[in-house]
Amino acid sequence: MPWPFRRPAREQELDDEIAAHMAIEVKQRVEAGESPETAEIGARREFGSVALSMEVTRGMWGYGWLQAAHQDLRYAAKSMRKGRAFTAAATLTLALGIGATTAVFSVANGILLRPLPYPQADRVAVLWRLAPPAAAFGGDEFPWGRLDFSMFQEHAKTFDSLGAFQPDTFNLTGRGDPVLLEGIRASAGFFPSLGVTPALGRFYTAEEDRPGHEHVIVLGDRLWRERFGGDRTILGRSIDLNGFGYTVVGVMPPGFSFPHGEEMLATLEFPREAELWVPLSIKPGEAGPSELGVVGRMRGGAGIAQAQAELDVFAHTFELRFPTSKGWSRSRAKPLASQIVGDTRRPLLMLLGAVGLVLLIACSNVAGLVLTRSLGRRREFELRTALGAGQGRLMRQLLTESLLLAAAGGALGIVIAAAAIDFVKKFGPVTVPRLQEVGLDPMVLAFCVTLTFLTGLLFGAAPALGVRRGKVGDSFRGGARIAGGHLSPALRNALSVGQVALALVLAVAAGLLARTFYGMLATDSGFKVDRVLTFELSLPSAHYPDPAHEAQLYRKALDKLRILPGIESTGMVHAVPMGGEPDATMIRIPGRDPKKEARPYVNYMFASPGYFATVRTPLLRGREFADTDTLDAPPVTIVNRAMADALWPGEEAVGKQVGVLTPTIPLRTVIAVVANVKQSSLKEKPLPQMYVPYTQSEIKNWPPMHTMQVAVRTTADPAQMTASLRDAMRAVDPDLPLARVATLSTLLDRSLTQPRFAMLLLAAFGVLALTLASIGMYGVISYSVTQRTREIGVRMALGAERASVFSMVLGEGARLAGLGVAIGLAGAFAGARAMSSFLYGVRPSDPLTFGAVSLLLGSVALLACYLPARRAMRVDPVVALRHE
Amino acid sequence: MVDCLLDEMGKQEPYLNHIEVLQGTLDMLILRTLQWGPQHGHGIGQTLRHRSEETLQIEHGSLYPALHRLEKQGWLASEWKQSEANRRAKYYKLTAAGKRQLAREQSKWDAIVRTVARIMRPSEGR
Repeated sequence: MPWPFRRPAREQELDDEIAAHMAIEVKQRVEAGESPETAEIGARREFGSVALSMEVTRGMWGYGWLQAAHQDLRYAAKSMRKGRAFTAAATLTLALGIGATTAVFSVANGILLRPLPYPQADRVAVLWRLAPPAAAFGGDEFPWGRLDFSMFQEHAKTFDSLGAFQPDTFNLTGRGDPVLLEGIRASAGFFPSLGVTPALGRFYTAEEDRPGHEHVIVLGDRLWRERFGGDRTILGRSIDLNGFGYTVVGVMPPGFSFPHGEEMLATLEFPREAELWVPLSIKPGEAGPSELGVVGRMRGGAGIAQAQAELDVFAHTFELRFPTSKGWSRSRAKPLASQIVGDTRRPLLMLLGAVGLVLLIACSNVAGLVLTRSLGRRREFELRTALGAGQGRLMRQLLTESLLLAAAGGALGIVIAAAAIDFVKKFGPVTVPRLQEVGLDPMVLAFCVTLTFLTGLLFGAAPALGVRRGKVGDSFRGGARIAGGHLSPALRNALSVGQVALALVLAVAAGLLARTFYGMLATDSGFKVDRVLTFELSLPSAHYPDPAHEAQLYRKALDKLRILPGIESTGMVHAVPMGGEPDATMIRIPGRDPKKEARPYVNYMFASPGYFATVRTPLLRGREFADTDTLDAPPVTIVNRAMADALWPGEEAVGKQVGVLTPTIPLRTVIAVVANVKQSSLKEKPLPQMYVPYTQSEIKNWPPMHTMQVAVRTTADPAQMTASLRDAMRAVDPDLPLARVATLSTLLDRSLTQPRFAMLLLAAFGVLALTLASIGMYGVISYSVTQRTREIGVRMALGAERASVFSMVLGEGARLAGLGVAIGLAGAFAGARAMSSFLYGVRPSDPLTFGAVSLLLGSVALLACYLPARRAMRVDPVVALRHE
Repeated sequence: MVDCLLDEMGKQEPYLNHIEVLQGTLDMLILRTLQWGPQHGHGIGQTLRHRSEETLQIEHGSLYPALHRLEKQGWLASEWKQSEANRRAKYYKLTAAGKRQLAREQSKWDAIVRTVARIMRPSEGR
């Protein structure tokens, strides 16, 4: 066996050398007349500690530290095996702390720290237009128009390439059942801006990105594999999309599906995973609505600041050419990384902070355990000191034990982290960007190892210092009972107070999130989800070239669905609640001067008769749309309460007139006011919203009406209706796929995944913290009772009531818990303020949460003291005193 | 450590007539002892005690770290030989480098003694 398992020759030699020394000494002493026994003892005394001498001598060999470490490790392993319950408790506590922290870190690492999968990603910028502050609606960023993008592209000098892109759906036919694919229309600069290369073939060129040449397509890896069997001869072949033949020119590598919906402006409704890319093909001078995202690769040496400066100059140029755009000409450049991470950074940092607190609690808990144990082992240490172990060596021994314990915890922690990561990937919110890239990469492992090491040092420091402070010989002189030292009770109490305080901070955070979540559920959403099935219709432009054709199809579909058995009512809207984002537009109101007042900006959606009744949105005043609201009839609109209150405060909105900016398009008369509907999140503040009958779409290219979402209220289980709905729609148009079929309650549930997940995660951390803190409290009080058994016995012998002993012990616990709660409350106030942006319907200083959590924590802490207090009460004075 | 051990055994006796070996001088004393020829650890310890006329109290155990350190420095060489007790023991002897080192230590020590003596002298007259 190789060293360190084999006893080295040098070690043997040292043994021999010292044995020889002893033999010579004994021989001389015997020759001088001592008895062999006395000679033996005398020789030993003369020599001093053999162990210490050997130990120091080994140190002279140069690798003594290594051998010492090996010895320490062996001894540590032995002592870990001896205290099984202690080892198991400490390892598990540490594993939970380290595992949870590693898991959260791996998510933060994957999302925030790992470089983006694009070459020189720091040179990629995402550009958005900016709305004037007065028109704040959600965020200030909005998409580019075709005209402004074309102008900027001609003008831009800080960019090597610029690409505009917009989402679109494509109806793939000619290969089995028609299927709706989600793809991107992107200009030729899109791919060079990201710096990606195709796995197969090429990208389309600037020449192909022109009207008349644009029927070329780049396939995504998944689409290529799933629909075309990974066929490498697909290049140059033609596939049917929306009734047109598109020539395949390239296939993207696996994993590329830029842009992802959750990383872009929500209003643009990018797909979660883009499956194909086709040219945008902007016609020269073409205007149209703002619906483009823009990505650009900055020239070497140019940064975001230069890009922003160029956009500012461009704003000026734009205003000179289009004076009416005043206030709406500014744009913003931001790094791709910050665009992608977006709003994820702050929740992640919050989770990282929360899990860090859990780890701290775990650490201090284990520190308490180790401290208790090391006090129990005091005799052992003093014996070893007496036998010649140096103090430094003992501290090192204790630290080695701590580190070994931490290593065991860390190893188990990695397993827990791996399981947790799998769990989060499977059940976590799908809207978190880059979540699927998360894993146990070298960075995470390095983090875990460092964390383990630091943890070991942290909880190992207290007992190691305890050894240094303890005076040698105490335990032999006075017995182990008073050997606790003066330092350790204070230290243990401080650890326990700290745990209670940290647990309170976590529990308050979890409580506030829970209040937020249930506040969201209780909020007035403006719709009812029971028995409503929804799906999306997306009409290909080849067969439905204009709003008239589209309206015709929708009318046919509605007529067909209304008479379907099992259906109570049906209606359509651009996007059902939690089903998508509305379009938005500036509006005019007759009699108001746009130069004096900021132009109002409102959401604008098409809807059909029967829609409000189907989703049960209360009609506050007026009437619903009717089939007679056609282009021949007077133009009408229904507004929500927020819009009525914002535009006609204190007046009757019904009967008022409102219109889009284009003066040639006639004004609409408000015929009804409906309740506010939460459109994309139960947390959102109600935004002004107007609904327009789909039968009165007079604007050719905006807003698009080629996708509509259908809601049907069924008389029975809506999930059972899917098949008959498909049959009905096949009769209307056999080439039309039913996309995104889901019940309204599923959609609502999906929108709640993220807040629910955050709440559950924090609640789990809170419960973990609470458990650890109460175990810690139990340990401290229980130990204190053991230490004071004699004192309690004396008190009782002197006539103290059992009840007063009970309350004395409980009082000690209450003092610690009270102090912990007080410190925790201060921390929680600060922490809650930092997380105020995650809260909804509850103030950061919510008295109910703070009160309830304090009470809960206090009771749990007292409960933890109850058992030891009862034990103290039952102390038999006779036994306790005889014990001495 | 020594204190505690004796304390523990209840046989503490004050070292009134004994001098603790000055920090760092043990190496020099060992080298000096070996000037008279090879010797094993026990012999070195006894020589030190005898030559100091029993005033120098050295735990024999503390010799071995020093011997191994000096050997590692290359100032001592060792070999196993039959000892007077009819038992094999490890004998140490000075190397050439060890002799040079002894000379250096000797002159350094002389300088220290002279300096300390000069400083201590005035106090005698008080």
